[in-house]
Amino acid sequence: MAPVLMWLIMVLCLAISVCKYLFGLILQLAHPSAKIRKNYNFEPTVSVLMPCYNEGKTVYETIESISKSNYPTEKFEVIAQDDCSADDSYEWMLKAERDFRNIRIRVGRNEENCGKARTVCNALVHSSAEIIISIDSDCIFHPGVIRELTASFSEPKVGSVGGRVGVRNPNENIITAIQTIVYYAAFELYKIPENWTRSVCCISGCLFAIRRELLLEIEPAIRARHWFGVPVNQGEDRFLTHQTLLRGYGTYINNDALCWTTVPNSLSVLFKQQLRWRRSIVRDFFFTLRSLPQHVFKLHPNTVLTLVLTPLGAIVALLVVVNSLISDPMAWAGPMPLVTALAIAAVLSWWIKKHSVRETVAHPLAFGAYIAWAIASSLFLTPLALFTMDSADWGTRAKTLQEVSVGNPHA
Amino acid sequence: MATPTLEPDVKPAKKAAGRQSLHYRFILATYRIFAIGALYAVLLGVIAYAFVMGFYAVNNSWAAPIILSATDEKSLDFRAKLITSQQTIEDLKVDAAKMDSGLREMRSHRDALLALEPPIQAAIDRERQHDRVDGPQLTSLDSRKLADNAQTQQVLEQLDGMQANIQKDLAAGLITKADAASQLAALNQTATSYTDSRIAEVLLTDTVLDKTTLGSTTLEALEKQAELRSEAAQLDVAIHVADKELTEDNRQIARLHDAIATAKQSPYYLNASGQSLLNFAFVPYDNQASATLGSPIYDCYLNMIFCRKVGTIVTRFPGEEQVLHPIFKTQIRGFLIQMDLHRPESAKSRTVFLGGKPLLF
Repeated sequence: MAPVLMWLIMVLCLAISVCKYLFGLILQLAHPSAKIRKNYNFEPTVSVLMPCYNEGKTVYETIESISKSNYPTEKFEVIAQDDCSADDSYEWMLKAERDFRNIRIRVGRNEENCGKARTVCNALVHSSAEIIISIDSDCIFHPGVIRELTASFSEPKVGSVGGRVGVRNPNENIITAIQTIVYYAAFELYKIPENWTRSVCCISGCLFAIRRELLLEIEPAIRARHWFGVPVNQGEDRFLTHQTLLRGYGTYINNDALCWTTVPNSLSVLFKQQLRWRRSIVRDFFFTLRSLPQHVFKLHPNTVLTLVLTPLGAIVALLVVVNSLISDPMAWAGPMPLVTALAIAAVLSWWIKKHSVRETVAHPLAFGAYIAWAIASSLFLTPLALFTMDSADWGTRAKTLQEVSVGNPHA
Repeated sequence: MATPTLEPDVKPAKKAAGRQSLHYRFILATYRIFAIGALYAVLLGVIAYAFVMGFYAVNNSWAAPIILSATDEKSLDFRAKLITSQQTIEDLKVDAAKMDSGLREMRSHRDALLALEPPIQAAIDRERQHDRVDGPQLTSLDSRKLADNAQTQQVLEQLDGMQANIQKDLAAGLITKADAASQLAALNQTATSYTDSRIAEVLLTDTVLDKTTLGSTTLEALEKQAELRSEAAQLDVAIHVADKELTEDNRQIARLHDAIATAKQSPYYLNASGQSLLNFAFVPYDNQASATLGSPIYDCYLNMIFCRKVGTIVTRFPGEEQVLHPIFKTQIRGFLIQMDLHRPESAKSRTVFLGGKPLLF
């Protein structure tokens, strides 16, 4: 009975995923009206909150890209909050404050390291704008990003809007090439059906816009998040999206609001990042299960299915992979998975080259390695996430005070 | 901008730690203990899995025991085929015996027919020889007879006048009635003789025709001879075909006997026909060097360690088998061996090792 149930869930998850991708493709090609009605005349005041931890000079480049925004400068400000970086990030932030005087920049620093979520809340204290945009301090933003995000709030029931995260380093190595394809497929296909129903389940924390009143309503919950007393400072983007939906607002990703991030270029960093994401998925799953009736009655079925089946699929995938490795260890080495992966990569690479030249993947065949990653991540990420829920480690930004920054913020 | 004043809740770690109830501490401690145990278990599992995979990738002495039950599909199929083959042999033998008997009968009949050929030919020759002698004589006699009859006919033409004269003489009283009757009878006798002579002439002509050309009798004899020869030829063909069929049947019987003899060396035959439980094991070709007759067999815990000797190899079967690799689950080729196990439970192990312990203990 159990194996049948396991395979049933797995097939269901895969079927829903495939359907979502296909439906996303159909919506992209044949149903442009599924996109939100944007009103570019709607120009609310905006606070761009930028929590920062150990980003070094990148934070300067990020603020620089924001300073080039085509949004009226009197209507937006940047609030940069350093989470006690061990490097010279804070100095770079101050330098940016000095250099980019065309925009209002506030730089602050936490008294002690407390994680991204609470740093955002700390930055929020200084904001009075109608729309709050939280950004990652390692991203480069398109000049039109603020305008695109605010224009999407013209629908009053939309509470949070996200942007598309592109990859800055698609051809650095195999790992970044694979991530480029995955990111593109996620934003341009997978999330499109969720967009259609204004029920995106996770807006990326790289570029997250939310109505001020809504964020203020959720803020106490963000600060109060804990795992049996251990403060939770990860997955605030998923949490915020989830809370937005539960409060009856819609969520949307405007793929015209572009930002560019540098994705991990080594397996260890990628693994840590994915582990952090998996933890927040699992945490979100527990939260969903705890209040499932509320979810069922309040949220769109598409959202409930995604909230339940995505983490359930990850857990079942672990069992399926273990079962497959024991019952048929060589199955993954057969030609079918490789051919499928390469076919998907070929199509998506062609699609990316056509629609986003900057992210063109030079060697799409590298996507074949995704099979090995899929097995390894299914096998290790879920159990590791399940058994390290009390971890507050961000994973990808750890630096010691002794590490010296390459740049010179005082130049 | 000045560093913001951190409210008490901006110190989440300390604050949260302060708030931790005993309840939370207990749950967290339990969770951490369980998590550490589980993660070590996962780690050990992964290492063990990798080791097992690596071990079976390089080891070349393992064999996979196979239990063939009496109801084993292959054995039953084998037995059914064996019975069918034996039945086929019996049928072929009966057919061959019948064919052999028929062949003998046909040969005897053909000999009898061929034995008739010389006397018939001799009779025809003899007949023709006589005809060659008698024919010309009879032709000459026929000519003479024809001439005689022509003369006799001329004489008979004169008899009509004589008969009238006899009537005239009787009417004139020159002769008595008795004389007249006597004379008329003589005349009638002459005419009858002439008619007989004509009949004889016709018969003679007919005989001459028979003797000088191929008569119906000769033709009948020749027809009989042709029929006899045709029948003999048909018998020749039938004998040839039957002979070939018989040879083929005998060859088929021999082949089936060979096949059965080979089959009797198969583990499936032994399993299907044997009274006691036999133990077999599959040996991949990569490991065949370890599968020598009399080699010891070891059974190990966890399929690789703490091994003990459980028996020896008694037979190595020649036929190829294809089975799934017990660990990798890929199709592999090899052959079967028969094991003499003094620990029968080892037949249920996933793998055994031939020749020695795989890891020295």
